Amino acid sequence: MSTPRSSLVRNLLAAVTALGAAGTAGVYFSVARERFWVNWLLWTLFLLTLGLGNLFLVALERLVGAHWSVPMRRVPERIASLIPLAVVLLFIALLGVPVIFPWTFPAAAHNPILVAKAPWLNLPFFAIRLVVCAAVWMLFYSFYVRGSLRQDASKDPAFTVRARKLAPAFMVVFFFSVTILAFDWISGLEPEWYSDMFGVYLFAGSFISGIAAMIMGVLALMRRGRLPEVQTKHVYNLGTLGLAFTVFFAYIGFAQYMLIWYANLPEEVIWFKHRIEGAWQPVAWLLPLLHFVIPFLLLIGSLGKKHPGALRVAAISILLGHFVDLYWLIFPTLGSTPLFGWPELAMACFFLGLGFLQIRRAMNRGADMPIGDPLLSRGLEWQL
Amino acid sequence: MSGGTFAVLGLYSEAERIVEAAKQIRPRKLGRLEAYTPYPVHGLDRAIGLAPSRLGRLVMLMGVVGACLALLLEWWTSAVDYPLVTGGKPLFSWQAFVPVIFEVTVLFATFTAGLAMLFAFNKLPFFGHPVLHSKAIKDITRDKLALSIEATSAAFDADLARQALIDSGAESVEIVPVPVWDRALTLVGFLRTVAAIAAACVVAGTGLYTAEKLIPVVPPLIHMHNQPKLNAFRESAFFADGRGMRPAVAGTVARGHLPPAFATPEEAGTLLSNPLLLTQAIAERGRKVFNDHCAICHGPVGDGVPLLSRAYGGKPGNFLSNEIRARPDGHYFGVLMLGKNAMPSYAADLDENDRWAAVHYIRILQRAQNAKDEDLQ
Repeated sequence: MSTPRSSLVRNLLAAVTALGAAGTAGVYFSVARERFWVNWLLWTLFLLTLGLGNLFLVALERLVGAHWSVPMRRVPERIASLIPLAVVLLFIALLGVPVIFPWTFPAAAHNPILVAKAPWLNLPFFAIRLVVCAAVWMLFYSFYVRGSLRQDASKDPAFTVRARKLAPAFMVVFFFSVTILAFDWISGLEPEWYSDMFGVYLFAGSFISGIAAMIMGVLALMRRGRLPEVQTKHVYNLGTLGLAFTVFFAYIGFAQYMLIWYANLPEEVIWFKHRIEGAWQPVAWLLPLLHFVIPFLLLIGSLGKKHPGALRVAAISILLGHFVDLYWLIFPTLGSTPLFGWPELAMACFFLGLGFLQIRRAMNRGADMPIGDPLLSRGLEWQL
Repeated sequence: MSGGTFAVLGLYSEAERIVEAAKQIRPRKLGRLEAYTPYPVHGLDRAIGLAPSRLGRLVMLMGVVGACLALLLEWWTSAVDYPLVTGGKPLFSWQAFVPVIFEVTVLFATFTAGLAMLFAFNKLPFFGHPVLHSKAIKDITRDKLALSIEATSAAFDADLARQALIDSGAESVEIVPVPVWDRALTLVGFLRTVAAIAAACVVAGTGLYTAEKLIPVVPPLIHMHNQPKLNAFRESAFFADGRGMRPAVAGTVARGHLPPAFATPEEAGTLLSNPLLLTQAIAERGRKVFNDHCAICHGPVGDGVPLLSRAYGGKPGNFLSNEIRARPDGHYFGVLMLGKNAMPSYAADLDENDRWAAVHYIRILQRAQNAKDEDLQ
């Protein structure tokens, strides 16, 4: 698999990552610590949500017994390898918790809202929740991804049955863990604020960007001729799923915004006020544009779902939108102007480089199709 | 029109064969190709040259029309025709309009999809297809697949079509004639049937309505909201005076509601002094009374800046002004009972203790804004 071109790309990626790592170290020592940790959190969550979104896609296929996606399943399984990387990064982010989370500050003892929330928002319990969630993710990751790789050689149909039986349990545990992730690591940055929907919001965002990452992965492998038997009809279905869930994301996002706008409660509204007024307003408009309008218009017709170019643009728009989403959720805690300078670029290079290297490594693990899965032939024969 | 050929029908027993046959015959342009199969056959739609449905575009168009109409309706009703401020929000609040826009979009789109599919693309009302009268229909609904070449032009040659079907491997070929329609199965017949059903509905409905009025019927359910009860603002046969609301017994006064012994607030200021001792509980009570009844106009800190919108237009008294601060406690009590300018009397809403507690609280607000040196120690 090691052509001169691919090793050149790998070396380039490694160089960018190394540069980013040096830049990241520079950021740590030269700018405010808060800015460093907020960047760290943003990119860790970006990688983690992409990984979790793809693990969810794998489990969803098992749950509903889909055939069409089986020939492409290696792609989400490989992108899910971001989970172990992101979990390590998230554990490192624990060091930054006292820097960026206001409920850890001494002043929190005089804030009645934070005193009331202290049984949930305290460092030991916070760490315990992280350990439990990380353990759950790693357990299911290893069960679904490693198990599927083992099936390549063993051709054991029993694994397919077991994977289906475990899928409902995964769904339940997954929703709880993603909700905890959202409440702890994002809405915890402004602990006076709360929204019941926020867990679903992060889930919707990670699911649609997981689909977008899977589309990019499938198209990339197809262009290199590594998925010769995957046809337009398979990709078409990915486009359909992408359309459905970009609408789902917009629906959840708008519902959260509209309910808070309507009720107009000061402690809830202030969160949106910081994010849609002043210098943040352009970012607030960019989010629905990239995350919903562009992919929706591209994917609404049957032509766009079949056209690799249109699919790719929609997927890139969604992934950019996902970054803007996390940026818009996390960065307003730093101040009323959106910060984007060399520290952000350096840390983006570092984390994205790490993510790409991890996915590239995973892309060469096992066969490009789950050749041991008894459902593979039905997936290949599947007709639109 | 009887006696002509509607179509030539060829029967096949394998899905692959019919797709091949369609691909073979289509370029010869003998007539419009149509297929009848007991189950869906992949690729057959493309083989007989079926264009992609235009339904999707129509649904999209009507969805957009629905969205625009909903936006127009909401903008006109809530910002132009009947402007009413709700919850302090702008008249044109697009956030509140989105759910309705969404629903109307879905309504227009689904109705377009359903009705256009039935009436525009499937050409309903449609009174039986000629193929239903063919001999082959029994086989088609069981296990055979049929390809038909329809006579769409005068140049249609049934023998040529028949030969083409046999050459493509059809097991048997049948010529379906143009059917002679029964009189009831025409558009006029259909419209008459619809009119008859509508007339029957009107007659039955009117009859039932009249019967229910004329013949006393025991209602099937007695709803809770229909039970006999007193309503303070309605007349009632229960009491002798015919009123639902009870007046006070003559010669009595409710506790805490003694009629005023003064004619003006100024007189009250000279006659009365606050009988309540200022305690934590009294201050809390005064705050509640003030926030519930006074703050809406006089403002939460008593500075006379109302919580109401500017459209209210009144100029409530500023408790922090020197003029009003200098007035004695009894004056405040008097205004609460008698009202002043635009302010109505609160005698019916607040009892004596509530009024005096509110006066205490106003004094607290005044002190808070004009703290003495000793308060700041």
